[in-house]
Amino acid sequence: MSLHVEILIAKHLKNSAFKNGAVFIITFFIGILLIYAVLSGWKNYTNQNEASEKYQHESREDWLNNPDKNPHRMAHYGNFAFRKSTSLSVFEFGMEPFFGNAIFLEAHKQNTANFSEAGFSNSMLRFGEISTAMVLQILLPLLIFFLGFNSVAAERENGTLKLLLSQGISWKQLLSGKILGIASVVMMLFIPVVLVLVFILLLLQNFAVTLDETLKMIFFIGFHFLYLMFFCAIAVLISASCKTSKKALVSLIGIWLVFTILLPRTTQAIGAYIYEAPSKIQFNSDIEKDILKQGDSHNPNDPHYKAIKDSLLAVHKVDSVQKLPFNYSGFIMTEGEKISSNIYNKHLESLLHVYEKQNSFSKAVSLLNPYIAMKNLSMALSNTDYDSYIDFQKQAETYRYDMAQKMNALQIKYISNKKDKPAVIDKDHWAEVQEFHYEPKGVLSVLKNEMVSVISLFLWIILLFILIRFASKKLKAI
Amino acid sequence: MLALVFKNFIRSKGTKVGLLFLLIIGFISLLIGQQFQQKQHKNIIEATVYQKEHIARNASFHKDEMGLLLYYVKFSLVNKTFPLNSLAIGQRDVNPSIQSVTIRGLEGQKYDSELNNPSNLLLGNLDFSFVLIYLFPLLIIAFTYNIVSEEKESGTWKIVATQSDNTFLYILKLFYIRILSLLALVTIILIIAVILLNIPFDNSLLTFYIISILYILFWFTVCFFMVSLQKDSNFNAVILLTVWLFLIIILPAAINTYIVNKYPVPEALELTLKQRNAYHEKWDMDKKTTMNKFYSHYPQFKSYVLPDEEFSWLWYYAMQQMGDDESAKQSLELQTKLKQRNQTSQSIAQFIPTLHTQILLNEIAKSDLENQLLFMQKTTAFHEKMRLYFYPKIFDNAPVAKENWSEFEVETFEDKSQTNLIKSLLPLVIFNIIFIGLGWMNFRKNQQII
Repeated sequence: MSLHVEILIAKHLKNSAFKNGAVFIITFFIGILLIYAVLSGWKNYTNQNEASEKYQHESREDWLNNPDKNPHRMAHYGNFAFRKSTSLSVFEFGMEPFFGNAIFLEAHKQNTANFSEAGFSNSMLRFGEISTAMVLQILLPLLIFFLGFNSVAAERENGTLKLLLSQGISWKQLLSGKILGIASVVMMLFIPVVLVLVFILLLLQNFAVTLDETLKMIFFIGFHFLYLMFFCAIAVLISASCKTSKKALVSLIGIWLVFTILLPRTTQAIGAYIYEAPSKIQFNSDIEKDILKQGDSHNPNDPHYKAIKDSLLAVHKVDSVQKLPFNYSGFIMTEGEKISSNIYNKHLESLLHVYEKQNSFSKAVSLLNPYIAMKNLSMALSNTDYDSYIDFQKQAETYRYDMAQKMNALQIKYISNKKDKPAVIDKDHWAEVQEFHYEPKGVLSVLKNEMVSVISLFLWIILLFILIRFASKKLKAI
Repeated sequence: MLALVFKNFIRSKGTKVGLLFLLIIGFISLLIGQQFQQKQHKNIIEATVYQKEHIARNASFHKDEMGLLLYYVKFSLVNKTFPLNSLAIGQRDVNPSIQSVTIRGLEGQKYDSELNNPSNLLLGNLDFSFVLIYLFPLLIIAFTYNIVSEEKESGTWKIVATQSDNTFLYILKLFYIRILSLLALVTIILIIAVILLNIPFDNSLLTFYIISILYILFWFTVCFFMVSLQKDSNFNAVILLTVWLFLIIILPAAINTYIVNKYPVPEALELTLKQRNAYHEKWDMDKKTTMNKFYSHYPQFKSYVLPDEEFSWLWYYAMQQMGDDESAKQSLELQTKLKQRNQTSQSIAQFIPTLHTQILLNEIAKSDLENQLLFMQKTTAFHEKMRLYFYPKIFDNAPVAKENWSEFEVETFEDKSQTNLIKSLLPLVIFNIIFIGLGWMNFRKNQQII
């Protein structure tokens, strides 16, 4: 099968596109924006990661430099989890500005992730950000629509459509040719972006990328390519089915507005409206109530802890906790930490469940809206999505729990119950707690999580193929 | 004539659908605002109840140690949410409206964030300010992009031109009808808002209303100017949408990135490390050094001498105090940077009507960064007040039972800062005049063509 005709049509469209001054200017502008997006993304990424690494390192040094002391003091001295970004986040900021960048990890207490960019900004941030992904996902589709609205409709208005069809060119050839033509214009922006993206990613990893990162990058590029082709096809199909180019333009702008501006915000807002999440004060007081029900380790007369004490005394056949062969308060704190963490995690799970229900609207709509599907997918691949953030917080919490229990274990083992010698242990023990290291989710779990989005994009592609076939048979020249 | 123009406009199906759509989504935005208001209100009640129970319980557990009791007890300060806030939620979803602090070191508590679903934050609130700033312009563009050009394209323009003495006046009438209908729409939505959200009739509401009107007029003047160029409908649509895109997404985003990169805040992370070390290292230092620093900060407490014990609450709170005192420099730097960010964005925003409107609406609704910074300041003052009240009681180990704990209720901070009306409205007025002027000149120049 020769594609000669299609290529001819495509070339023609491309040449005439650049004769149009407005299109040329808009394309040029988008090019400039892309450069700006890449540069600011890069700067942002370096700032974020340099700061995060610097302070992670500093806080580690501080931790290790602590002199001999009581391990429980160290558990309160605590550690920090600083969030690091993945290299793809140079191109897709996702929810990063809304993520807290540091969590203070100490005994007894699950602190919030603080210092998000959004907390330090005024409402300007809420207009959105210019990232490469934003240009690819929002601006390029609009450019495609501007390029494509009159691709067939104008030929119909001029009467050249009849000429073309009477020369033996089939509708299918015409449509594919036009799609190819628009695509070739868009590729003039997309291909440089891909080259820059690959280069920067390699540079950031010192040309030693892992398989996981390579796969994420390939998926990132591949899905964006499909996504853009999808819009090329929509533009041509709408143009072909509208009587006038004006009508085509208005319809396409409408589609673009609904897909990229109206639906995302509205669906998320509806989700948040229907499933109301508890506030921090409610969340915390609920946890406190549950902990009190279980037993309050700070209350000297609490029945739960009194029972533990009594049984310990009975088992070891002693009459006071001072005579126990291990540190009693360390033992009690281990128990307290276990109880409070369990309760906290239970409440956190139900909070996250509410959030997931809020997000479920957007997720469902991503089947109808390729923009949401693409956005979710690209955020997931760059680990700047909701799941990655929750994952970061969970990893930090696990680390916190282990650290607290490690300190309690040291106390149980080394600290005497009697006040005969100073209740301190050697500072060499501090190194037994490993440094916090955040491991971003791998490509497989990301794709599994975003299956809906992947399916959505493929369904849309299939639908478009069907539509093109269908249109080829049904469309009329007049 | 005007009646006919109006009939012609309102009869169109697109007009009806557009207006109805905006009315419905405007109403939804009010419902979302109402939910926000109820949630804020509920939080305050919860905080009040919680504080009461929390203090009573702890006071009964730690009857004989004032110092230990104050280690646990938290006091809350509420950033008052005005009813107008529901129309422009701004940053109030990101930042907590209630701060609960113990009298221990403040820097470790001050920046605790609100619990949030980041997906909601990313996509933003569907509040009235969104409807006004994003969606009204779209409808304005849809209503006006084809004025004249459509009639020219369909060939009816010549009939209009011959039947009317003054075509310019006719065009003005077309605009007049459209302006009136959208102003009516925004008025209706705001009237519903006043009823639904119990917004009091005051200066803030009036300013809010005037800004909304000026903003809507701004978009009409932009469209008026576009129409005056007398290009074809497609061209108008493409250019107007591009203008919208620039003003709504691209420019604000570009400026935000610029500001974030120009004023980075590594102080935040530095601060948090610094306050941790400053307090904790004191455990392993000579108590005297700590106490001397404490006495030089609070000479009034010099009479409290450190008891000859391994641990004392005087020493403990002096150590806690050092966490704040020694990270004060970073804390101040952070505040300064944030103020700079705010000021820079405000001055740039004067040249970008969309941004200016957004910032103004949030300023009036007390949901902007400035309000947050003020709230932080008040939290510091509130914390200091509690500290100074309890320090002598702790150092004296005053009897817990003697204190009237029920007096410690949740306190409220009310942001009373006023918006400078002239300074804030002027940019919008100037933009309106410029575009009307330019459009008018174009029409005059092209009189013969019409």
